[in-house]
Amino acid sequence: MSASNPNESPVNRREFLVRLGLTGALIAGSGLAAKKLWQPNHFVPGFEKEKGLQLKSYAPEISKVLPSLAIAHGTDHEKTMRAAMGLLGGMERFIQHGDVVMIKPNVAFDRPPALAATTHPDALRAVAKLCFEAGASKVIVADNPINSPTGCFFKSGLTAVAAEMNLDLLYPETNSFAPLSLDGEILKEWTFFNTPFKKATKVIGLAPCKDHNLCHASMTTKNWYGLLGGRRNQFHQHIHSIVSDFALMMKPTLVILDGMNVLMSNGPTGGRLSDVKPMNTIVAGTDMIAVDAYGYAHLLERDIAELTYLHKANDRSLGNINWKDTLYKEVTV
Amino acid sequence: MASDKKYGSGGRKEFVRTKVPAVESISSAVILLLIVAIGFTIWHKGKVFDPNLYSVRNDALKSTALAVEGKNGTASTAIQTAPVAAEVPKVVAEKTAGGEEPAPEGGAEGSATPKPAEKGEPMEIALAGTKPMGDTEFYTADSLYEKIDGRAPAYQSFNVVALRCRSFAVNAAPGSYVDVYEYRFDNPVDAFGMFSQERDPKGKPLEIVADGYAADMGYFYRQGAVYVQIIASDMKPETLAKAKSIADIRAKDLPADDNGLAGRRKLPADGMLADSVAYVPENAQGQSALKEVFQAKYKFAGAEIPFFVMVASADEAAKAWQSFQDFCGKFGTTENLPDVNGGKIFRAQVFGKWKVVYQRAGELGGAFDAADGDQARAFIEKYLRGEIK
Repeated sequence: MSASNPNESPVNRREFLVRLGLTGALIAGSGLAAKKLWQPNHFVPGFEKEKGLQLKSYAPEISKVLPSLAIAHGTDHEKTMRAAMGLLGGMERFIQHGDVVMIKPNVAFDRPPALAATTHPDALRAVAKLCFEAGASKVIVADNPINSPTGCFFKSGLTAVAAEMNLDLLYPETNSFAPLSLDGEILKEWTFFNTPFKKATKVIGLAPCKDHNLCHASMTTKNWYGLLGGRRNQFHQHIHSIVSDFALMMKPTLVILDGMNVLMSNGPTGGRLSDVKPMNTIVAGTDMIAVDAYGYAHLLERDIAELTYLHKANDRSLGNINWKDTLYKEVTV
Repeated sequence: MASDKKYGSGGRKEFVRTKVPAVESISSAVILLLIVAIGFTIWHKGKVFDPNLYSVRNDALKSTALAVEGKNGTASTAIQTAPVAAEVPKVVAEKTAGGEEPAPEGGAEGSATPKPAEKGEPMEIALAGTKPMGDTEFYTADSLYEKIDGRAPAYQSFNVVALRCRSFAVNAAPGSYVDVYEYRFDNPVDAFGMFSQERDPKGKPLEIVADGYAADMGYFYRQGAVYVQIIASDMKPETLAKAKSIADIRAKDLPADDNGLAGRRKLPADGMLADSVAYVPENAQGQSALKEVFQAKYKFAGAEIPFFVMVASADEAAKAWQSFQDFCGKFGTTENLPDVNGGKIFRAQVFGKWKVVYQRAGELGGAFDAADGDQARAFIEKYLRGEIK
């Protein structure tokens, strides 16, 4: 039998409250300290979701006077390009003195220019010339072909134009990519050919108009596919979703659809001149969805109802598929 | 009262500590110090976080790295295909943050750095006046997209096995070249299927092979299980001449094999729309009995008549013909027509379209989806009489 110490008194109410308060303060202090020490922004590969960059908008201010879509018909590449840009208010509307302009051509394949599977060298030459005339200090040309970039640029004839015009060809290197974050329908986090955007103050998409085996057509919207890195072919399963996401991902200064010679069949590679039809048209504008809507209906001569990715982008208010509802002008050179 | 001090109000015995042993005090202090130390360590590690802490050590994976075909395989090509030095533009090559040299050409994201293992024989073409522009490139069905990207699924649908390609510079025309693509399929029938799908309707037939044509800028043909594309970079006479020579050489070098193409041979040439030939491996016309069917469209008496043909044993052809007639009877009307030159014929109207189907001696065929039943019948009767060849 244990004996109690007569000198010790049991905990009284006051002491109990004091102890309770101290314990509570200790717990609260520990919680506050933990909160202060916790660093939620740590990225541990494989353990925490990486948040990538978000591209800024290069889009010009919307004009209520000048057209957002221009259609020029002609047989000479440069004259037709000048005419299209003239309708939009001139290249000076988009490019200011000292601008570093990034031109994104479609150089997906190592095909000769005549097969119309890649951006035509005459189109690049004309656009670069207009940019320099408007005061651009530098013109960068960049694309990330799945195939060898050097081979694709060389065989498509763009290497020669870059040499002739003193353009900077920016080939993708291992360290040219950065993670991109986007709240797209399918594009959320992906590696992106970022280096050109570190330097560019203006961005121009310069795409050929061509048939595509998987998504019916490759024009200015799909052209941005070439900026993705990694094994991007996995998106082919959801090609209309990913292409519509490009209208969210990219807010370019200008897009130009080269419809001088259109790859009508066996795209996107082609291979025969019989696949190519001269349509002698350049379409330029600030709304890639409107530009592509014109291209699909009038250059590829197909029913716009079947081009799902344009409808998806239109439904998300990323562009206007009803190009006739936009402010547009048309001219024949 | 003593009993009041001994027991609490709940009847439980009260416990009051009167003495804390020194060992216990020291242990408590040590534990508290350890907790503080652990907390500080966690805080410090977080403050000076090393992002490489959990990163993959690539050097540890070297032994497991497989050679990758394709993209990086073209790197040396690019170097050798570079235009004359004076025309080489500024190529902006980024340096890494650490000042390292950029990755070699072709080593962009999406490609692998190891040199690929060659999966086949290099394409050697001994032709005077030409020079290889680089190494032979090899692609499998899985890596084909690296060469032709979004076009690859079309080839995969015909069971492509591999692509071998190489470019040859034309010495007499600086800057000009000829691309040679050899798509190997699992069999001649699939090779023919892809070939026919891409056929140029304006192409001129080639004499060197059974299935081939010359287009404005190249030569396209099937030889065995290989679909060959020889594409000139331009229409200069020197370039086109070399493309023609290469086409001849490759046609001779590749073994001929028409196995399974007997049905193709049954398609008459008279009136055929050149770009309409197609191969249907199974379930043609929605009939499980119709396999390895060839079909094409024909201009006949001002109309367009789709025609199909299948080669099988006499017994199989007879059964398939009867099964097809029964099927048509379920969804439309059928009638037997008089035999022509040993061929049994029925005519059917299904969903507003006409079919006239025959079978004779191990061959089954017919007109389908015709707008005019009499025209379809006339076409088949002429074919059976050998008047359409």
